[in-house]
Amino acid sequence: MTTTSVPRLKARRTPVKHKRAIAIFLAPFAVLFAAFYLLPIGWAIGQSLLVVERDGTFGKPVEVFGGLTQYILVFQNEAFWASVGRVALFGVVQVPVMLGFALVLALLLDSPLVKGKKFFRLAFFVPYAVPGVIAAIMWGYLYSPNLSPFAAFTSGFDLLAPETVLWSIANVVTWVYVGYNMLIIYSALLALPSEIFEAARLDGANQLQIALSIKIPLVMPAIVLTAIFSIIGTLQLLAEPQVFRSFTSSVSSTFTPNIAVYTTSAVPNVSLAAAMSVVLALATFIMSFVFLKFTQRKGDQ
Amino acid sequence: MHIKNSKRIVALGVLAAISLTGCAAGGSGGSASGDAAACAPSDGKVDLTYTSWIPGIDKVVDIWNKENPDVQVTVQTGPNGNGGTYKNFFNQLSAGNAPDLGQIEYDALPNFRVQDGLTNIASCKNVTESKDDFIDWTWNQVTFGEKDSVYAIPQDTGPMAMYYRKDLFEKAGIPVPTTWDEYAAAAKTIRSQGGYITNFPQNDVNWFAGLVWQADGRWFSNEGDKWDVTLTSPESEKVADYWQGLISTDLVSKVPAWTDEWNNAYNTGSDWTWISAVWGANSISSGAPDTSGNWAVAPMPQWKAGENKAGNWGGSSTAVLKGSKHPYEAAQFALWLNTSDEALTALNKEANLYPATKAGLKLPVLSEGVDFYGGQKIYDTFATAANETNSDFVWGPTMTQTYGDVADGFGEVLGGSGTLTDALKTGQKKTIDALDAAAIPVNK
Repeated sequence: MTTTSVPRLKARRTPVKHKRAIAIFLAPFAVLFAAFYLLPIGWAIGQSLLVVERDGTFGKPVEVFGGLTQYILVFQNEAFWASVGRVALFGVVQVPVMLGFALVLALLLDSPLVKGKKFFRLAFFVPYAVPGVIAAIMWGYLYSPNLSPFAAFTSGFDLLAPETVLWSIANVVTWVYVGYNMLIIYSALLALPSEIFEAARLDGANQLQIALSIKIPLVMPAIVLTAIFSIIGTLQLLAEPQVFRSFTSSVSSTFTPNIAVYTTSAVPNVSLAAAMSVVLALATFIMSFVFLKFTQRKGDQ
Repeated sequence: MHIKNSKRIVALGVLAAISLTGCAAGGSGGSASGDAAACAPSDGKVDLTYTSWIPGIDKVVDIWNKENPDVQVTVQTGPNGNGGTYKNFFNQLSAGNAPDLGQIEYDALPNFRVQDGLTNIASCKNVTESKDDFIDWTWNQVTFGEKDSVYAIPQDTGPMAMYYRKDLFEKAGIPVPTTWDEYAAAAKTIRSQGGYITNFPQNDVNWFAGLVWQADGRWFSNEGDKWDVTLTSPESEKVADYWQGLISTDLVSKVPAWTDEWNNAYNTGSDWTWISAVWGANSISSGAPDTSGNWAVAPMPQWKAGENKAGNWGGSSTAVLKGSKHPYEAAQFALWLNTSDEALTALNKEANLYPATKAGLKLPVLSEGVDFYGGQKIYDTFATAANETNSDFVWGPTMTQTYGDVADGFGEVLGGSGTLTDALKTGQKKTIDALDAAAIPVNK
């Protein structure tokens, strides 16, 4: 931080060499970034500002600028906000449970007392290698009241009922992602210098104390990272509930915000769907940002 | 050189961006709808694309391709309409690269017309003249009852009847129900023996509409300059109350239709009947192969004893989508596909499609007994039903949305809260909102 001013001035004086080379190497990225990132986002924002006008019952639709009309409709859309509330509830319960599991598994793998680490590391991670849709189909069959190998249980206790289906989906998501999050936390643990643990042991700390007082605080940044990924993933839930729609009537066409967007675009009411997407993206951004600020402030204290 | 190259790359990028925006902008424009444009043959060899979800459609199109070397049709298959193909069509239409021809069910035609997705082929050779070949109500669906308008060629219909497990009914000594009251009574007996008379399919709202159709109800009308939405008409609520009674007393199962679980319910004999359309014959025989020979077909139960009324569930048309460069050839192919004996016979053989033409009902293949149904000549029952179908039923312009919202309500009922009538009320309100959002005039 202290050295920044001098080199910056220097850099400004010396002209940038290889301008053309830089341009050539940057161009592919810039073009793709613009075509597949900036343009679609800009397009969605533009689309969200349009409304349809027509004459008569079969008049030709004309899209005209409608200002924030679609956004007003989004904020009045009860089903959309119910879906946001649903995934928020989902996230409040599922994310801590999943990250708790991931942390415990990572600490166990890192503990010198456990044997067969390579096997367990792979075993925990394997579900993540299963594509999300396949995982959802598999669990759908396991939950099914009639086709499940555990039908004796599932026919008596309906895991796909309106009250339970959200948590059945949470179980699938946890199953898929716990190993992935574990791996991130575990690699953070591996990066810690071993001297700290030697010192702790010399001071008489046992493994549990080391885990609670040293390892967890030191890997906090990794846990925060996985939490943010999980929050974003939760708000964007689509595949699992969409697959479950073919197993149960409890998953509505507006079950999660993304399904609501998908349903609205199928009407087709593309402008409203675009406005929903923009609101959802902003909400995701704000929630991630708030979470980050919150944890940073805690870390500073 | 380097400078030139990098500039060229940037220029390419800009061009790409412009052409992307250009495409999409072109899609939302397009030529005026309504008037039947002149329909002239194209010069030289023509390649057409056709998207459909009929099983085995490629084999039927092969017949055409062999006979017409100058007009070659490429088939693309997709999921059924509401399952994804309509969404693809809408996206392709706004991108300006829709296929020349598309399979569109009658209930979705108004939606496509409202989105300016159909070509009026009334002036194409032989199209308007073929009016009398088709069953009257199907022609109403593709012309919207207007003169000088033909937006699609009717393909098949879905007259409804009752598929039932003849063996199980006989064994249990239950008479085949002819009225809905008898059907409910049979449901009780079957339930006491551990089975279900049928399932209530949450997502088949068009099936429910077929039942309303049978009861002489209407969900939409477009008299003049505004739409009327009548999902909550007395006829509609009568049907809803009836099925609500069966659901509340656990006389129908809640298994979602078109799933493995549903097939399993038929295959293992836990579901005994299915009120369904003629094309459903294929669904049962492929989904429940172990029950071959045990099924039979009877007319739909009636609301009043002695009446003869049938509903209709589904049925498609072949539409020439907006943007096709060869409407003449496309229209000729659509006519061949849906009126010629060879195509209709092949369509019936591949997919049990039931022709929308009057002559088609007399095809030899439709007077044969079907082994799966114990050798019964099941198509006789459906031919009768086809003639008992009310021809005034009108579909709304946002059926995908209407189906979705009503299905959500039905789902809540199956989950134990609300009633089917509540679901119709919500569907009514949301449909009016959706029409409003699309700037389609509607009576509130």
